[in-house]
Amino acid sequence: MSKVNQMMKNVLKKFTWNNIKQAMASREGLLIISIFIIVGVFTIIDSVYIMPRNIVNILEQSVVNGFLAVGITFAIVLAGIDLSIGSIYALSIVFVSKFLVGGMNPFLAIGLGILVGAIFGGFNGVLISKLKLQPFIATLGTMSIYRGIAYIVTNGNPVLGIPTEYRQILNSNTFGSIVPVSIFLLIAFVIFTQIVLKKTRPGTYIYSVGGNEESAFLSGIKIDRIKILGYAISGIGGAIAGMILLAQLGTGEPIAGSGAELNAIAATAIGGTSLAGGKGSPIAAFLGAILLSALKVGLIVAMVPTFWQYVATGAIIIVAASVEIIQKRLKSSTT
Amino acid sequence: MNEYIEFKNISKSFGKIEVLHNVSFSVKQGEVHALLGENGAGKSTLLNIFHGVYQDYSGEIFYNHQPIKFKSVFDANHHGIAKVHQEINLVNDLTVGENIALGQEDVKGIFVDRKKIDKKSNDILDELGCSFRSRTKVSSLTAGEKQMVLIAKALYSNANTISFDEPTAALSNNEIDHFFKTVEKLKAKGVTILYVSHRLNEIFKICDRVTVFLDGSYVNTFDAKTITKEKLIHSMVGRNVEMFAQRKMPKLYTNEVALKVENLNKPGIFSGIDFEVRRGEIFGLYGLVGSKRTDVVRAIFGAEEHVSGNIYIGGEKVNINSPYDAIKHGIGLVPEERKSQGFVKVFNNAENITLTDIGRYINKFLINDKKKNSSAVEYIKKLNVQPLDSKKMTATLSGGNQQKIVIAKWLHCNSEILILDEPTKGIDVGAKEEIYNLLEELVSQGKTVIIVSSELPEIIGLCDTVMVMSEGKQIKIVRDKFINEKEILKYALGGEFDE
Repeated sequence: MSKVNQMMKNVLKKFTWNNIKQAMASREGLLIISIFIIVGVFTIIDSVYIMPRNIVNILEQSVVNGFLAVGITFAIVLAGIDLSIGSIYALSIVFVSKFLVGGMNPFLAIGLGILVGAIFGGFNGVLISKLKLQPFIATLGTMSIYRGIAYIVTNGNPVLGIPTEYRQILNSNTFGSIVPVSIFLLIAFVIFTQIVLKKTRPGTYIYSVGGNEESAFLSGIKIDRIKILGYAISGIGGAIAGMILLAQLGTGEPIAGSGAELNAIAATAIGGTSLAGGKGSPIAAFLGAILLSALKVGLIVAMVPTFWQYVATGAIIIVAASVEIIQKRLKSSTT
Repeated sequence: MNEYIEFKNISKSFGKIEVLHNVSFSVKQGEVHALLGENGAGKSTLLNIFHGVYQDYSGEIFYNHQPIKFKSVFDANHHGIAKVHQEINLVNDLTVGENIALGQEDVKGIFVDRKKIDKKSNDILDELGCSFRSRTKVSSLTAGEKQMVLIAKALYSNANTISFDEPTAALSNNEIDHFFKTVEKLKAKGVTILYVSHRLNEIFKICDRVTVFLDGSYVNTFDAKTITKEKLIHSMVGRNVEMFAQRKMPKLYTNEVALKVENLNKPGIFSGIDFEVRRGEIFGLYGLVGSKRTDVVRAIFGAEEHVSGNIYIGGEKVNINSPYDAIKHGIGLVPEERKSQGFVKVFNNAENITLTDIGRYINKFLINDKKKNSSAVEYIKKLNVQPLDSKKMTATLSGGNQQKIVIAKWLHCNSEILILDEPTKGIDVGAKEEIYNLLEELVSQGKTVIIVSSELPEIIGLCDTVMVMSEGKQIKIVRDKFINEKEILKYALGGEFDE
């Protein structure tokens, strides 16, 4: 018993003001604290908010946006943007629907879906690196082209008759059948991409190209390849998001994901990824997506009128952006 | 003729580095007065002070016997003092007339009086002998015509004094002739002209007097009509021995050719570059503004497009089409602009040092951060980077320490041939000395060093061989005991009419 006491004391000792300041000086730490504050506030307003079912709901709602936000993080770290990610999301939905309805093995269809994301995303990278187009313009163009292809493939109609077998792979529940498996898929994707960015050669190169392209070029890095890779990963994020939505809905809607790119950018911005490039992480984007859906669900629970929800979402983006400046001060006061 | 512009005891520092020391001289009304000196001698800084770009200097300036201190270039314009910049800056999408009148538009009520602007602009353009009109789009003009627009802009604001900074650098031969005629016309109108150039033939052709600067100090003012080229160059040299970099271990080079460059060309930029560098040699590349030395080393490093010619390393012909290829063949480049080219701002020291050869720390796809950091620490210690911290962001270090990180990057990937472009630009004396020692140590290990520099004391003190360039051409290769200020400056200044 005294051992437990000792441990508790040690844990409490760590909660000094300085440690909290240090946690707040890292973006991820600050995001986690902010999420706890949001959860706390809405729980006080209505204790329904803290019920496991609601927490699962928050997580589930952040899955699709989480995949998109993690994907787009790669484009933004490269000092670019991927406006076409919502259209790639739709493309993966319609292609995978067609594959499945055509009787393809679900696992093979999922593999091909990822390939669809990599190809269309990689094509963005080709436009940006080989043709030297500005990322905003290039992906604005492909956003429309890819959306068009999604409509052409389906003739504008939803694809019906998605096999249950497929839906169970991506949309079944675990843990007493309340926690959707898609949450774990997202967490796995976040960990995988975080390791790629922080721990591998291509990841290091992505940060260097985004941070200073000229310097990266003069360091012998093949800029074009790195950009194509980054945009391909962005496309893969979009494709997986699409496949999960398809499993959730059971119909392949070519219209899905219009405006989804803006939600993804919002989550990434809240995560602190700078549009100037060279900064940001998948974990931060993931936390940004959770924060956004915690807020949205909270506003519904608190019965705030819909129109005000838009105002709140916008305000949180602006607050998140201004936090950077406060953080810099905290950093200089702890070191 | 009276003393129209008088500079009295002008001094100016950037941080710890003093770039102008107690400069005093005067300019007469209506003369064309040349300012001459090497790169970094202080000519452009003095002009910037005169035009109100810098206000934090010591000393006084009198203009027509009145003390002046302008708040901005715009403020100077209001007082009849105009500047024609080194880089031509006009709004390309506007017309000639709109550019000429920009910031000083004639108005009728609340509207811009375009008719009046066009009339006034066209009159000035006629006077300058220009064939384009006020309504011509600036984007359709050549470099020389754009410069005429800038001169017209100065006349539109009734400028009494115009300064030119390297005005002929971007012009073709025909345009240069037209420009000289224009200068004559301005002079005839009584306009006083300050003229920064290192092209001696131009100075002799159009200037009345010439003031020489050396390392931020005033040397002398001469009558351009009577002084000889020989005497002028003589006045530009004469540093004390202790001002030169000192080699502790001279002549370490072997007979083995480490790098051979054969007939390197880049159309419109440089041509006919041909030289050999021996193993263990410190090879210098010297040239003044517009000599294209940086383009040559970037071409060797594979960072320029449309380059022809052959490169041999250790006697073998190699194909270099990108920095990636150059690095594979053992070449490293410390680029001219440290902050924008040398390192990645969002990276710490360890990340910057290991970037080019991160593969060394990869085990099964993952980077071993511990190994990476401990290896970076070795280089940081070896180069005495302050603070000794591999996780410090490179961007927060001083200039000298940043440069050490950029050099460490190439030591880390074991470059056999290290090219350094302006290695000590904006670096304090202590760090300079350390970098010089390091370069000597490298050649003593049998590596090869190429330095591009504007600083003669550095080039003369360190190099075994110096190649002098001017206007994109290789003028002369000077070796060992023939290397001195006068010899090198002679080729750098007068190359074009000596050959």
